[in-house]
Amino acid sequence: MSTEETHPNYWKSLNELAENEEYKKFLHREFPENASELSSDVSRRSFLRIMGASIALAGFAACRRPVQKILPYTKQPEDIVQGEPIYYASAMPFQDVLTGLVVEAHEGRPTKVEGNTEHPSSHGNTNIYGQAAILNLYDPDRSHYPRKGGQRSSWNDFVSFCSQHFSDTNRNIAFISEANSSPTYNGIKQKVLDKFSNATWVTYEPFGEDNRIEGTQLAFGQRLRTKNHYDKAKVVVSLDDDFMNPSENKNSVEDIYNFSQARRVRSTEDEMNRLYMVESTFSLTGSNADNRLPLKASELDKLIYNLAAELSGHVSGLEAFSGYNANFSDNERVHDWINSLVEELIEHKGEAIVSAGYEHAPEVHSTIAAINVALQNAGNTVTYHDVPHFDDQNNREAFASVVNDMKAGQYDTVVMVGTNPVFTAPADLDFASALENVDQSIHLSQYVNETSDKVNWHVNRAHFLEAWGDGYSFSGTRSVVQPLISPLFSGKSEIEFLNAIAEGKNASGHDLVQQTWQGYYSNGFHDKWRKILHDGVDTGGHFEAVTPSLDSNFTSKAKQFTTSESGNNGIELVIRPDSQLFDGRFSNNGWLQELPEPITKLTWDNVALMSVNTAKKLGVDSERKINVKTDNGELKIVVWVQPGHADNSITIMAGQGRKKSGRVGNDNGVDAYPLRTTSNMFYHSDISVSKTGEFYALACTQDHQSMEGRALIREASLDEYRENPGYSSYEEAYHGAELPGEKEAKAAGEDFPIPLFDALNYPDYEPQWGMSIDLNACIGCGVCTIACQAENNIPVIGKKDVREGREMHWIRTDRYYKGDTTDNPEAVHQPVPCMQCELAPCEEVCPVAATTHSDDGMNQMTYNRCIGTRYCLNNCPYKVRRFNFFNFSKDFLTSGSDPEIVQMAMNPDVTIRFRGVMEKCTYCAQRTNHAKIKTKQKTGHSIKPPDGMVETACQQACPADAITFGDLTDNNSIVSTDKMNERTYLLLEELNTRPRTSYMAKLRNPNPNLA
Amino acid sequence: MSNQDKQEQNKLHGILAEFRNPKELVDAAKEVNQSGYKNYDAYTPFPIHGLDKAMSLKQSKVGWIVLLHGLIGFFGALTLMIWVMGYEYPLNISGKPFINIPIYVPITFELTVLLSAFGATFGMLFLNGLPRLHNPLFNVDRFDKASDDGFFICIEAEDALFAEDKVKKLFRDAGAANIDEVYE
Amino acid sequence: MSKTYEFVPERPLVKGDHTFGSITALISDTPLKPTPKLWYVAFGFANLLLLMMLALVGYLIWEGLGVWGLNNPAGWGWAIINFVWWVGIGHAGTLISAILYLFRQNWRTAINRFAEAMTIFAVMCAGLFPAIHVGRIWVIYWVFPIPNQMMVWPNFSSPLLWDVFAVSTYFTVSLIFWYVGLIPDLATLRDRAKSKMAKMAYGIFSLGWTGSFRDWWNYEKAYMILAGLATPLVLSVHTIVSFDFSVSLIPGWHSTIFPPYFVAGAIYSGFAMVLSLMIIARKIYGLEDIMNIDIMERMNIVMMATGNLVAFSYLMEGFMAWYSGYIYEQGIFYLYVVGPYAWGFWVLMFCNVINPQFLWFKKVRRNVTLTFMVSIIANIGMWFERFMIATASLATDFMPSSWDFYAPTWIDVLTYVGTFGLFFTFFLLFLRFLPMVAIAEVKAVMPQADPHYYESDEGEETSTEAVEVENK
Repeated sequence: MSTEETHPNYWKSLNELAENEEYKKFLHREFPENASELSSDVSRRSFLRIMGASIALAGFAACRRPVQKILPYTKQPEDIVQGEPIYYASAMPFQDVLTGLVVEAHEGRPTKVEGNTEHPSSHGNTNIYGQAAILNLYDPDRSHYPRKGGQRSSWNDFVSFCSQHFSDTNRNIAFISEANSSPTYNGIKQKVLDKFSNATWVTYEPFGEDNRIEGTQLAFGQRLRTKNHYDKAKVVVSLDDDFMNPSENKNSVEDIYNFSQARRVRSTEDEMNRLYMVESTFSLTGSNADNRLPLKASELDKLIYNLAAELSGHVSGLEAFSGYNANFSDNERVHDWINSLVEELIEHKGEAIVSAGYEHAPEVHSTIAAINVALQNAGNTVTYHDVPHFDDQNNREAFASVVNDMKAGQYDTVVMVGTNPVFTAPADLDFASALENVDQSIHLSQYVNETSDKVNWHVNRAHFLEAWGDGYSFSGTRSVVQPLISPLFSGKSEIEFLNAIAEGKNASGHDLVQQTWQGYYSNGFHDKWRKILHDGVDTGGHFEAVTPSLDSNFTSKAKQFTTSESGNNGIELVIRPDSQLFDGRFSNNGWLQELPEPITKLTWDNVALMSVNTAKKLGVDSERKINVKTDNGELKIVVWVQPGHADNSITIMAGQGRKKSGRVGNDNGVDAYPLRTTSNMFYHSDISVSKTGEFYALACTQDHQSMEGRALIREASLDEYRENPGYSSYEEAYHGAELPGEKEAKAAGEDFPIPLFDALNYPDYEPQWGMSIDLNACIGCGVCTIACQAENNIPVIGKKDVREGREMHWIRTDRYYKGDTTDNPEAVHQPVPCMQCELAPCEEVCPVAATTHSDDGMNQMTYNRCIGTRYCLNNCPYKVRRFNFFNFSKDFLTSGSDPEIVQMAMNPDVTIRFRGVMEKCTYCAQRTNHAKIKTKQKTGHSIKPPDGMVETACQQACPADAITFGDLTDNNSIVSTDKMNERTYLLLEELNTRPRTSYMAKLRNPNPNLA
Repeated sequence: MSNQDKQEQNKLHGILAEFRNPKELVDAAKEVNQSGYKNYDAYTPFPIHGLDKAMSLKQSKVGWIVLLHGLIGFFGALTLMIWVMGYEYPLNISGKPFINIPIYVPITFELTVLLSAFGATFGMLFLNGLPRLHNPLFNVDRFDKASDDGFFICIEAEDALFAEDKVKKLFRDAGAANIDEVYE
Repeated sequence: MSKTYEFVPERPLVKGDHTFGSITALISDTPLKPTPKLWYVAFGFANLLLLMMLALVGYLIWEGLGVWGLNNPAGWGWAIINFVWWVGIGHAGTLISAILYLFRQNWRTAINRFAEAMTIFAVMCAGLFPAIHVGRIWVIYWVFPIPNQMMVWPNFSSPLLWDVFAVSTYFTVSLIFWYVGLIPDLATLRDRAKSKMAKMAYGIFSLGWTGSFRDWWNYEKAYMILAGLATPLVLSVHTIVSFDFSVSLIPGWHSTIFPPYFVAGAIYSGFAMVLSLMIIARKIYGLEDIMNIDIMERMNIVMMATGNLVAFSYLMEGFMAWYSGYIYEQGIFYLYVVGPYAWGFWVLMFCNVINPQFLWFKKVRRNVTLTFMVSIIANIGMWFERFMIATASLATDFMPSSWDFYAPTWIDVLTYVGTFGLFFTFFLLFLRFLPMVAIAEVKAVMPQADPHYYESDEGEETSTEAVEVENK
């Protein structure tokens, strides 16, 4: 099968390759590999780390006969109870944004990332990158040591090199850095720039905020950060702004939270905002829109100018656009849209948000800014902030010129902090060859990637959970990044790295960060510092909000760029960041590679997305390869037909197809960067596409897209709901069909249909666990899946087995298309964990009683009793059971040269499942039981935890708070109240399995005029 | 010749007579039976109808043995399942009642049949005193035909009324095709 | 006196003019004569297949179930299909020996030994699959109620556990039933065997059977009871196998018609298999007189009847899908007919609905070649029936999001092929070393066996001269 050739199944093949030699050796050795590090830096954490590794062993060795090797503490450290996790506040930097985290550590080994409820940009939630960070930390493929000219070197050598190389302050140095909000880092940056008068500094992010910033520069003459307050807005007009997707919005966690708060409906009185989406690709946000319009990316700016033109008739400040009238390929429909948008926006002056996607041109963003000002949204729903660490230059232009100067040999030294320009830089710049004209190139990165391969000095970077740091959230909350573990491969943070260049000597990140913060709090620093570390949030420090006014010469500029409008009828190519791997930096993360893309449900690959019509026109179909050719390059890529995609438009996600990422990330999909140029960062018009007819197998986790008229997801518009609050009941969903056995039940005063046998009934035992999933809140991002994977030690199985249909995720997100047309269908998302049926069909069929019911109403799986008949899987109507067809966990945890590293990511509270057994969602039994024990310890008698004490991993991570979980015997618990809501319904209710997991029917709030 | 040696050493086991066909056998058996012999038996390649009446045999006891085993199987199965699922280790399985008779039916049935079948087979062998690897009759070469197309009657020496010449005469009158002495 | 003996002339079951002696000779010669070349060839081939199967099973156990085509919705695949198929085939034997015995269908004697042997080997093939299809075969003994330190017991409410009991009971009972039938014939072989070895072997296994009528008396009783026990057992086995499906709630499985429908199907396929094998064997071993056309026709009639029962249940499934108004059932049936597995459905329709109709014609029923073809097609059809039930229903059940396509791997396929190696290895051994027809029983149903036969003269002669012939 072509799959195997083109994409070897890493976890298996590697295991075969290594035949677990390391692992065998390891078992026979007293101490794990890292033990040698005891001699190097003996810190408590590093010692604990080794402990952790050996404990993790106990887990993964459980393939048939577990071999237990545990090192006891020789000296019991204070404030550590073995087996009791400790939680530390920290924060995750992503580009120049921090998200507050609370990290769970077992015996000094971070095992799970959770959001920090104190942190405004987290609200206790995270996105997929946050959840997956743990696996990145324990990635054995990370660079283990600094390299000089490709040869192993050491940090000290590097420092001494710096001390002499950078002693000459007249050097022409180019600094290329990824976006970073750390005040410490930026402090050192200043120092560097002061020290080296000929140095140039550019911040390069392949996908970033730059254009939006330049937009404000155009509109207001200031480089400002635009913050949309989705919680305040009644109307959101998102023009290709996929703000729910972490790869398209670095503040997705907060924005999703706010957005869902504004749609939280619990009664017919509640209000709901309305989301309009105009976009080329069918995006995650688009799937949650109340009204959605597919439109070619190249026509979107026209739409925006046209919108501005129409608005200029009603509000002042948009005169520049008046009279502008564009022609669209789908003219009538688009103009209807524009009219109703105008209507809505005028009606909701000051309480609407108009926003465009990051990658759109600065002109577009300036227009958006102008519109928001004109509609008085600015200051209310949209605020602009002065961000201290922004550079006062157009970074993309600056980057281009720096690279050209490098080519010209103007620089003798180039220092790259974190970025991977050889892979991500626009193709026309040809960064690789530019690098060759620089005699000293230095690169800090976590992996030996495409760039580090071509440099003189590679310094291995510490993971953010390994090193001290600090920074600002998107909206300006300042916090400290606290490490939980000493660097596994003694890597260095960007702060230490840059400091070494500036000072020529070694300094600990901890001290550097403290210095900065002493600056903020000169008196009482120590207590303050402790408090900040504890809370993970610093109350002081935020970004000044500025009330901007249109730049005097904006009008004239606008006149120019609106006139220079060329229509195009050819096929366009849109390049977006990969929603799983972002620009490619997460490509070596198995969890993310295997997480189904929210809309396509594809894993392990990137594809050319196109609409049904376009596919017809080109005569291609899914899983067939095409050849995409632009004026500066071409590539072969496999097609995926995407209903709802704009016609004559092809979307390719960049980030896959890496060559030097690691054993997971290498050679999946196709590298799209070669088609990305400085002039076409976002889209190419008029590309040529030819079909090759070649077949290429993709691993998609959902083959069937329609609900087949089964009321699995029940949906209504807000108005319908208000007329008929009970719309989600079985009778309504099936147009008056009655639920079998319900009449009898009503007569007998039962709340479930009466079964043929007299069922054992609850709850003479408390608590009784239950879950409610609000489909109106759920946006389908899939973070629950990753959170579950991290919490429950779910292995990565590789593309081949995903393709076979053997994915192991305990909670999946189903995505169905609705509507009669394929050119703009509605998409609905439904997370499906185990329903924990009270009358579970899976239980009665197990011949060895390996799956039974617990007293607190959970459907338990006894792994070591399971013989693997798979009868339960067959008999599960929800198909949530997962079978270990191979020894997935063992392959996952023992392959590679140093398996014990990834083992450290495992959660010691959860059994590692071996080959041939069934597994499934347990409602995070380890958490519920932990809570019961804690409560018992406190109260001495009760094992009924207070509401909210237990949060399942999926619930905990969900940024939309779609999942509630708790005790059903407590009528005031949130889950009980949710379950009593009229929108609550049970999945496949007619089977009378009595699920403990219920759903709250979906609502939409579409504009009737756009029906 | 092998018979010669036997005549020397061995004591007489009985007199064996061969008959031409089932009918003659049945008639002969009737004769023997009526003349009051007890320790005699007929040997045939297949069961012959009417022979039981002729030999006035009583109902076979196999039935009772089977019944006994069947009962053991039936109650054994039921008790096992009720005890296990209701008392020894009750588990909440699909919320079904712990003691749930309908689901016990298949296994109870199967075990009843299984044990009955054992009863029938081993009961039969027990009543027939099988397996028995030696039998004096095998010393008579002609007796091989008993499993082919020979129809024999043998009156054994232990019989109270046994007297060699009287028996031989009886057989001759009954029209035996051949008559042999059977030695241990 | 003579009133009690009434002679009822009956159509002879054994063709040709045979005596007890010639029957004995005809049948018992095969095991006693030296082995024919052809047998070695066939046996060698069967052994190769068997070895391949063992290798594949070894690989499966070493690597894990992933080597099969199973996936998430389709937790069961070829293994279970083959299991049900083989068990179904395994029904003919005991059915023929037991039920026909109770109904005094004497024509059974020609084929019962043969069919029972086939049953036992078929059940062996069947039993293999549930064993190897579990994830952890090394703990499969947990399905038996054995006291253990974990203090846990099997779950007696699981149809799979019922299966364990049903199939193992069926195997054991069929085996002893078969063996009990063999005892007198083994004695015959013992008495006719020339070589010391053979005499020893047959002697031991015939348990010193003398043909004593007092023994026959208990023997017949026991045999009758065994038949009485085996009859409901046969019906129960496939009923319980069908419970595996009908007790679950999967659309296309959850159906009350399954038990009778499965049993009918089993008899259909079982008789088909017996016919296929019989038609070959009678030719090779020249048993046309015993396994004669009348018997073939009678079996064809049974096939026709059961075949139409099966066809009817297909009809009912479609009807119930429509009539119940149960959308999932309707969905499944719709997908049977036009879905991804539709081709399987139409193969099935031809083999199990059209095919048996040919048997309405006496010409076909009495034509060896045509019967052979019909019987082969019938077995193909029954395999596809299980394929549709097992995988097609699973792959597309309640949640469209989980729908997936099940396709076997080459290992699935070859393992199935390999079971024929297992089957024929044993079957050839049986043909070689054991009497393939119940000698004693055939004799018992010959007219000469009845004492009244000799009241007519020419019977007298024939028999006496027969005796003389033998005496020479």
